Amino acid sequence: MAGRQTLTGSQVINAAEPRNTRLSRLARSISKNLIWYLFLTPAVVLLLAFMAMPLVESLQLSFFDWNGLLPPKYIGLENFIELLDDRFFWSALSHTLIFAGVATLGTVLIGFLLAVIISRGTWGSSVYRVVFYLPVMLPMTVTGALWARIYESNYGLLNTLLRTIGLGDLASPWLGSVDLSLWAIIAVSIWQFSGFPMIVLLAAIENISQEIHEAATLDGVNEWQRLRFLIVPLIRPVLFSISMLQLIFSLKVFDLVWIMTKGGPGESSTVLGTYLYKEAFELHEYGYASAVAVVMFVVIFIVTYAYQRMIKIESSDY
Amino acid sequence: MIQTQQPPLWRSILGRIPKILIFGVLIFWFLVELYPIVFMFVTSLKSDKEILNAPFAFPAAIQYSNYVQVWIGDRANQPYISFFANSVVVTLGTLILLLFVASLAGYALARGSFPGSKAVQQGFLLTLAVPVHVLLIPMYFFMGRLGLRNNLIGMMIVYATLGLPFTIILMRAYFLSFPRELEEQAMIDGCSRLGTFVRIVLPVSRGALASVAIVNITWVWSELFFALVLLNKQEVRTLPLAISAYKPAAMAAEAVVGQQFAIMSLTTLPLIIFYFLFQRHIRKGMTAGALR
Repeated sequence: MAGRQTLTGSQVINAAEPRNTRLSRLARSISKNLIWYLFLTPAVVLLLAFMAMPLVESLQLSFFDWNGLLPPKYIGLENFIELLDDRFFWSALSHTLIFAGVATLGTVLIGFLLAVIISRGTWGSSVYRVVFYLPVMLPMTVTGALWARIYESNYGLLNTLLRTIGLGDLASPWLGSVDLSLWAIIAVSIWQFSGFPMIVLLAAIENISQEIHEAATLDGVNEWQRLRFLIVPLIRPVLFSISMLQLIFSLKVFDLVWIMTKGGPGESSTVLGTYLYKEAFELHEYGYASAVAVVMFVVIFIVTYAYQRMIKIESSDY
Repeated sequence: MIQTQQPPLWRSILGRIPKILIFGVLIFWFLVELYPIVFMFVTSLKSDKEILNAPFAFPAAIQYSNYVQVWIGDRANQPYISFFANSVVVTLGTLILLLFVASLAGYALARGSFPGSKAVQQGFLLTLAVPVHVLLIPMYFFMGRLGLRNNLIGMMIVYATLGLPFTIILMRAYFLSFPRELEEQAMIDGCSRLGTFVRIVLPVSRGALASVAIVNITWVWSELFFALVLLNKQEVRTLPLAISAYKPAAMAAEAVVGQQFAIMSLTTLPLIIFYFLFQRHIRKGMTAGALR
């Protein structure tokens, strides 16, 4: 305190000056860069209004009891406590995790095998490339409706085929069975999306320089060793990336389940997406459904954000 | 001596087995992937009786009636031509809005180092991790308050916003490698920043804009989740809603299977044509997005 009292007038001004100039430099820099702020405005406004605000509102709603008509009633954490006791919620959560886990494993594994085979320059490999990616382009609503017809138990393609080749015992009501419905949908997801990891992994394998391959050939490695000790280690980062992308994508599953079973029969194929939709837009439990949304947000956001951190998305200028 | 030079016959057959096996697996998977799609198009050209009795057969006579009925509206008088038109309008509108807003923002992030630019960049990255499903309930009420529910323009705004985080980052990456000399020349000639951007930068970036459009077109055309709650009225519904309107009930009970396949084919066909026109770009775009 004593020190401050001894400051002379000029010292005070000197101390204040840099702050003033810093402020004015900031002001000048902002006005000079005004055009850039204008360039950013439309994007920032859209993202604030249609993403950030609904996100906050969703969090708020999860603390309320609301049927959409009467004024919302604040109930604290009650929605979340109720969730803990709700076995339909737990089955939706576990179905989502099973779906995402198995679909990811299936698509990446099949995609990897196809990529390895095709990269060896098999006859007609460019045709495989085009055709294996084709289902990825289909709208999921179409895939779902198409496979619902293929799975249909009386006249559907799959059971007709099984009966024709003498495996009639295996014919089942695929989507009408509590035990099979979720797995039948997972199979469709793998059918549709295995082309995606294939294309990405194929690009990674083809990026491996020919010199490395030649060196390996001189060392006399066989095909298995080439795969195990050369290709897999070199494409491991891409393998990881594509698995995470596929996992994040599959955690958001909705369309396929909605079109094929609407989550049924019973609750046997309900996932978080369909559970949220039904609670909100069929039962009008908007607060409770928002609590489901918050759980969904936490699960997916953590996985996605961890992934972005891991691949250091901010530092790479792709 | 001569015998050792030539491998014994059993060994050369054994050596070929993996290759034959691999080839067999490839052909099998080829059929598994392709047949359902072929089946869809073939079935859309059959009569309902043929569909039920001979699911594997090609149509005895090609039936265009499914398409005709679908195009003008079936017995329930649902005008499918309008679903199609709505999808086209929403997709084109979304792409134009999305590309314009995202390239403005991406350009600003790539060029300007201004107070707050790092924070804005971090903010955009954060929005990339938001699972959009979470936004559904508040969006439903918000769009209602704005009077944009059951409104194609409202749908375009929502879709454009959902596509923004990823598209901005792609556009920023592109503009980082955009030659500054072009812009500087234009600015010396007296062009403003915005003028330079609209008259010089955007036209030169046609290729990049096209590939970003390609990345977005598929999901916008196929989007169901938000359309399901934001578009209830018959006249604004898009194609995915037309497909979801069909319940996966037992086949024998209904007589609209052919029509359902016709709608599915009509929904898919634009994307397949688009795929065959731009397949290299599409696969390269998806790969670049994933590889980073």
